[in-house]
Amino acid sequence: MRIGRYELTFQPRPERPGVHSALTAIPAILLALALSSLLFLPADTGFLSAYRAVFSYAFANPHGLQATLYRAIFLWLCTFAFLIPLRAGLWNIGLPGQVYAGALAAFAVPYALRVNEFPAPPLPAGLVILLMVLSATIAGAALAGLAGVLRAKLHVNEILVTMMLNSILFWLVAYMIKEGGPFMSLTGEGESFNLPPPLYAPLLRDVPFTALLALAAAGLLDFLFAKTTLGYRIRVFGLNPAAARYAGINPVALSLLVFLLGGAFAGLAGYHYFAAVPGVYKIPGNYGYYGDLAFYGIICALIARGSAVGSVPIALLFAGLSLGARFAQGQFHLPFGVDYALLGLLMMAFVASHFLYQFRVVWRTVAAEAVPHVPTGIPER
Amino acid sequence: MTSPPFGNHGRGEPLLAARGITKRFPGVLALDRVDLDVEEGEIHAVLGQNGAGKTTLMNILFGLLQPDEGQLYVRGQRVHFRSPHDALAMGISMVHQTRKLVPAHTVLENILLGHPGTRGFLNLRAIRREVEELCYRYGFTVDLGAKVWQLSEGEKQWVEILKALYGGAKVLILDEPTSVLTPPEVKTLMVSLQALVQDQGVTVILVTHKLPIVTAISHTVTVLRSGTVVARLRTSEATEQVLVQHMIGQDIALSMADLPVEKGRPLLRVEGLSAYNDKGVLSLRGVSFSLREGEILGIAGVTGNGQEELAQVLAGLRPPASGKVLFDGRDVTWLPPLDRWRRGIGYVPAERYEVASVLALTLVENTALNFHFDPLFSRRGLFNHPGLEQVTRHILLSYKVKAPHPYAQARHLSGGNLQKLILGRVLSRKPRLLIAHLPTQGLDVEATAFLRGKLLEAKAKGAAVLLISEDLDEILSLSDWVAPIYEGRFAAILPREEADAETVGAMMAGLYRKEAGVP
Amino acid sequence: MWELLVRSLEASTIFLLAALGELLDQRSGILNVGLEGLMLFGGTLAFIAAQTTGSYALGFLAGLAIGGLLGLAHGFFSITLRGDQVVSGMGLWILSFGLTTYIGNPYTGPLGMPRIPSLLGLSPFVYLAFVLVAAAWLVLFRTGLGLAIRSVGENPAAAEASGINVALTRYLCVTLGGMLAGLSGATYTLSYNPVWNYNFLMGWGFVSLALVFFSMWNPWILFAGALIFGVMWQLSLSPELLLPGILSRYVWRAVPFATTIVILGLISTPWFRTRWGLTKPEALGQPYAKE
Repeated sequence: MRIGRYELTFQPRPERPGVHSALTAIPAILLALALSSLLFLPADTGFLSAYRAVFSYAFANPHGLQATLYRAIFLWLCTFAFLIPLRAGLWNIGLPGQVYAGALAAFAVPYALRVNEFPAPPLPAGLVILLMVLSATIAGAALAGLAGVLRAKLHVNEILVTMMLNSILFWLVAYMIKEGGPFMSLTGEGESFNLPPPLYAPLLRDVPFTALLALAAAGLLDFLFAKTTLGYRIRVFGLNPAAARYAGINPVALSLLVFLLGGAFAGLAGYHYFAAVPGVYKIPGNYGYYGDLAFYGIICALIARGSAVGSVPIALLFAGLSLGARFAQGQFHLPFGVDYALLGLLMMAFVASHFLYQFRVVWRTVAAEAVPHVPTGIPER
Repeated sequence: MTSPPFGNHGRGEPLLAARGITKRFPGVLALDRVDLDVEEGEIHAVLGQNGAGKTTLMNILFGLLQPDEGQLYVRGQRVHFRSPHDALAMGISMVHQTRKLVPAHTVLENILLGHPGTRGFLNLRAIRREVEELCYRYGFTVDLGAKVWQLSEGEKQWVEILKALYGGAKVLILDEPTSVLTPPEVKTLMVSLQALVQDQGVTVILVTHKLPIVTAISHTVTVLRSGTVVARLRTSEATEQVLVQHMIGQDIALSMADLPVEKGRPLLRVEGLSAYNDKGVLSLRGVSFSLREGEILGIAGVTGNGQEELAQVLAGLRPPASGKVLFDGRDVTWLPPLDRWRRGIGYVPAERYEVASVLALTLVENTALNFHFDPLFSRRGLFNHPGLEQVTRHILLSYKVKAPHPYAQARHLSGGNLQKLILGRVLSRKPRLLIAHLPTQGLDVEATAFLRGKLLEAKAKGAAVLLISEDLDEILSLSDWVAPIYEGRFAAILPREEADAETVGAMMAGLYRKEAGVP
Repeated sequence: MWELLVRSLEASTIFLLAALGELLDQRSGILNVGLEGLMLFGGTLAFIAAQTTGSYALGFLAGLAIGGLLGLAHGFFSITLRGDQVVSGMGLWILSFGLTTYIGNPYTGPLGMPRIPSLLGLSPFVYLAFVLVAAAWLVLFRTGLGLAIRSVGENPAAAEASGINVALTRYLCVTLGGMLAGLSGATYTLSYNPVWNYNFLMGWGFVSLALVFFSMWNPWILFAGALIFGVMWQLSLSPELLLPGILSRYVWRAVPFATTIVILGLISTPWFRTRWGLTKPEALGQPYAKE
């Protein structure tokens, strides 16, 4: 780009050390925070105090902190669901669909065991819960696996397939819980039946055990990518699929595997939010909101540049932000959808930081064009 | 030898001139104050080795690149080409080393692309007539409605030349035009160029590293070496010796010592192998041969005659359409690539950057591409980093790879060093069969000599080597057997004693075939 | 039945306009997976502008403008910065999805303006879409500009060497394509279904994207595909017209999406792929660097 006598070019950054990449997450987050403060401008009180309210609710208020944690667990799991295929160069944007699949599968267990009808389950509660977790995980994995197979064997664009599956599952859930569907609650309110108390997920200090699963997974995933052969193969495939084939890495098996793993986490996230969070324990009528929440996982994984452990604090922050924003929205009569706007702004922040990461801006003065007539006789050599 | 035709040599202004052209790339000074003078109506050769800066200079003349310093002049007037568009407007046209045609479009569409007369609606019929007339005038026959990907390399080059002429080119720059041609096609080209210059008044700049071409048809020669002009001579006054000395700057013994090797037992046997290429065309049509330990079979052919498919089938990266591959007595025709690596088959692909390496990974991780399945380096799923680092260090040392340290990213290596790393990594596995596809392409003389030496070393240690190359010198200096390949078939399998450049060259052009028997 | 056909045609128009824009992008080599985002923003801003000013013209203008702007942004990221086009597209989609939910929420509800009059029983946009399809085919296959666009999408290096400004051509296509996507969204909220509510597109943008792949980058096949999907969509909304009482209406809503997956799978089988693969712009999705 030329502006008068100056030239603006974007040059790719030559060196990209690992520490550098971690540090660029920080400007991204700061930019995100700055942008999201714009959302509070129309607040009744000054926007600074609105902002303060957001953070204090999310992290200082015991009730709010708890809600933040519940949401953070959900986001962690969704982040991993997107992150694993991302490292392999594949886009799993079917997170909502896999979450719904997990939720349906989880609730199918008590449904099949007729637990929603009798107060006492025929099997030990612990076993039923285990079955619920397993079926949710398997359902999510299977759904993602479908996209993975199509991608692996037929090279079908996984973005399209997973997006289609999102819509299909969305309507499937609607079918199951509304208008006389099998999971519909007895009150007929367009939501699923309630989970009986024995089947509530065990809590550790008021936090569901899924938290442990998520945090352990974070560590294991980063270990997988850094130290194991499988992790190496996934990384090579993500960086250069042709080289991976040359090296003997099986593209079909690998694509399928990363989708299965990713989907498993998303399915588990579905189990978590609808069956493990105190106060929910059903598939509510506004389940679509939670499906949309899953998209935060995409941003967390992108900002964390594919590091699972790195995404933990980021997801925690965004969980709190979105929750606090919802709270502030009600408190200060802000327009609805502040958390959605936040989603959009965070994406913008990521793109901006991505740009900073990849390029540096260079200003150059361009020498003026002088066109003298120069004699051009052939120099003798 | 040529005699200078008409033209005002030494008097008046040259048609095209360059002064003080300097161009820098990251870490490399590609051109250093280069001057060039091209007279009207002459064939001006720019001679130099790979990497001397010839293509860079031509790209600047054509407006594809901007020089960091220096000026260009057309008939004494200073000009500035911001893009090929400006150069084309001045009547300067370029036919590149790699084809710059759109394979999916027809010949006519390619000729039309970018032509000023194509603003607005295309009157295809009128244009077609014009182009046909042009073809007739220059004596080319090519189907204007054919898709470019269906044409042979020689025909594609003619399309590019036609395109330049249709665009009204007065100066035609040809960058290594003979590199993809068979010997008879080369002769045709040279005759046509002379006709173009003499009858049509076109000026030709011919960029090449091949001396016979230079001495055969050029009037003036500018010799480039490592980015500087080292000589500028009338071709009639230059001898091949002088030109070589200018080009290379020193005498490099290019003949390889002939190491006597015990011919081992039969290792590889290929029977009637055929395969389809990516476009669904049967490009490998029934190839049969066998290879023993300690032998090198050189497959000589111009790119696009089925060699790529042959290499890929043998490496397990492409399914065959028919035929069998037997390695050490076992049928491995359908074996996956990983198992082939495990069995001792090594493959050095032609695409250095796209297939053989991952630029974003470190050198150690690139080495792991051929070691990740090895139990020594992957125990219970865990990656053996220290072990791999050791192997990498060993490769860097023994292959003289210039790299800052083993954990540098592969993208920081030059082409030659990367290729050394790749060959070193493959050979470190001590493969029993090595498939080397274009192993020294684009490398400088030293790297080329070094790698060829390594190939001979591997052979001496008992490996069977399948060498696929376009470079006749390379094939002839390394191989025990030579198999020219043309249109998917071996023209013959000749023992080294019977293989001379003329015969092999003619066979590469499909001129005659001996009965291809299994030696 | 006539009602069904009319509504189907109007639904096809939405698909067609967006898909045509994407086709233009892809013919020049740019992949925009965030098509739905541009449609969402086009529809939302058009709705808001029209409702606040009472003018349809301003509404459509707003839709075109934001579509072009977002297309330009995608172009900047893909062409000048040579970034990953999928990342940019996904970014645009999530950004649009989030922001439009927030911006549009106060305007939830009907447009409240007199309907745009129909020509011969059909919305005027149906005719517009048809004209645009014909124009697209004409330009792409019968003009020098179209040849340049197609060459840029197949082999930008060849185009550059022929004197064509690859970057400018791609910017042109991506901006025009974005405008078409914005127009598609605006047509949805101002004509097809003049009610704004959260996620009013319900995945149409991605179906349009799939349509471009199905069409083998040919405007006429795209036209046919859009027609078929329009009918299928309408049926899914009101299945009782054809098959009353069978299956919950929610299951019917899922049918177009399932069909898309099946067709995607079919065109990817080896038999189909060699034929289909030959029509794909070879440089699609790959950044071009002038070397």
